[in-house]
Amino acid sequence: MSLQFALCISTLLFLAGIGTPIGYSTILASIVYLVVAGQDIALAAETALWGLYDSFIILAVPLFIVAANIMNAGTISDRLLSFCISCVGRFRGGLGHVNVVASLIFSGMSGSAIADAAGIGKIIIEMMTKGNRFPPGYAAAITAASATIGPIIPPSIPMVMYALVSDQSIGYLFLAGIIPGLFIGLILMALNFILATIRNFPKDEAVSLREMPKITLNAFPALLMPGILLYGIYGGIVTPTEAAAVAATYALLLAGFFYRALKISTLYEIFVRSARSSATIGLVIAGALILNYIVASENIPSQLSNYLVGLDIHPLAFILGVNLLLLFLGTLLEATTIILVIIPLFIPACGDLGIDLIHFGVIAVINTMIGLITPPFGMLLFVINAVTKIPLKDIIRETWIFMAVLISSLLVLILFPEIVLWLPQKFGYVSSY
Amino acid sequence: MKTAYTWFLKISESISAAMLAALFIAFILQIFSRYVLNDPIAWTVEACLTIWVWLVFWSNSFVVKHDEHITFDLLYFAVKPNIRRIFALIGSLAIMVGIAVSIYPTWDWIDFLRIKRSTILFIPMRAVFSIYLIFMVATFAIYLVRFIKLAKGQNLDEPTSSPKEEVL
Repeated sequence: MSLQFALCISTLLFLAGIGTPIGYSTILASIVYLVVAGQDIALAAETALWGLYDSFIILAVPLFIVAANIMNAGTISDRLLSFCISCVGRFRGGLGHVNVVASLIFSGMSGSAIADAAGIGKIIIEMMTKGNRFPPGYAAAITAASATIGPIIPPSIPMVMYALVSDQSIGYLFLAGIIPGLFIGLILMALNFILATIRNFPKDEAVSLREMPKITLNAFPALLMPGILLYGIYGGIVTPTEAAAVAATYALLLAGFFYRALKISTLYEIFVRSARSSATIGLVIAGALILNYIVASENIPSQLSNYLVGLDIHPLAFILGVNLLLLFLGTLLEATTIILVIIPLFIPACGDLGIDLIHFGVIAVINTMIGLITPPFGMLLFVINAVTKIPLKDIIRETWIFMAVLISSLLVLILFPEIVLWLPQKFGYVSSY
Repeated sequence: MKTAYTWFLKISESISAAMLAALFIAFILQIFSRYVLNDPIAWTVEACLTIWVWLVFWSNSFVVKHDEHITFDLLYFAVKPNIRRIFALIGSLAIMVGIAVSIYPTWDWIDFLRIKRSTILFIPMRAVFSIYLIFMVATFAIYLVRFIKLAKGQNLDEPTSSPKEEVL
């Protein structure tokens, strides 16, 4: 490791550690590198600006943010929820199942776990805790756990970011997330069923069959969205980035004209809020682009890779080790930072060790999503705490078992890459290994 | 003074929102022209990318507040208030120093780009990237004000219960 790189990393750790925004910390650390290395300082701005300007796929991020915000504001979430209650509310642990199924459907429309928890999650927690049917902590915990599915099933904002740093196809990444997402959904429902039986949680009143058609019809246009997106992308009609615009347009048409639930003033606020979020993420992306450039020019990933190959490390041991590290980092860091800054370090090593990069990407995204519910720093826990006022310690107490189950599911997906790769292969993906 | 500042923030916010809306509309135009009119237009891609660069740095200059940034704040909020103040002072100072040493070379590079234009719309790249200079100046000002306030003993951040603008 060169002196300038060591200084760069210590600056980054120090500044980020004392609470300087991550985006600024990475840019400043890069400037330290350039100054000590005697290179042109303008290289920092140059890399960030050309990087942002050249990566068309990243435009999906602001558009998916707009889409998710519109869906939450325009009663689309509420309608989906009534539909889910009529389908699975009648079983043991009723609203718990509704929670998971609603997340599954919602995840097919939005690429964000936070949007899921803040929108649909908030409504369903209110339903679950009304009349003391479920302990508030449990309601919050299952909401948090099921919200992690959001970015696993396409569309997905984190997968777009992974595609950016790994040069993999977003189309195949999206496809590869479908089965793992459904798998995790099923596991969560099974867990909910078992816990509901042990702790004697109530069923919901069965919705009569006569009401079903009306409820379904009411939710039908919203239910079409995942289908439209998938057909659009895999029918070759739109690129995954354009699909983000289609999702936002469709949500806008539904909320504005079909359900008539969106005022102009609300729409304006949605755009302001989405612009804010896009810009904060954009700044972290800009910083990550510079840092990744430095890391690459220092040959760190390939040195790491050579070192690991020299150790004759088994690919499975490598991927398990990386996952443990990511889980640990996930308890402390934001998912954006992990995907954009940490994961690129391991990508060349994956290639040299014969690990499929689509498989690795899906695993890494699931892993960072689990990081969203692991204390002390779990974004989903904070969001649910903020929108429902359920105390964090109650949420965390009930979250452990969900965390354990999610990590076990992750392990299964690591050990059996076929579960992840089967669907993309059906659509013509040829793994290079 | 106060009202002028509030108005300024409101207007910058609406500019951010308008840029995002423009990005969105350009995308729709692109899809529409290709599949409905069967006559793909090429300029939308470039327009989107230009708007995106402006959206990010414009919003970070005039719309996003310090406490809305993605931050690792576990340690920051765990330490005593006077240490937290020192942390915040160091962070602000570091940002100012970083901008101070890099602004001239960066300006030089951006200015040099006057010879380069974008491929389709022929927008001078100097204009596209000039927002970064505005961003540097604005950020310097923001952290200078923050530094002064912190040094005077005001403005110390407290942990808030409202979630940050995080979207993953």
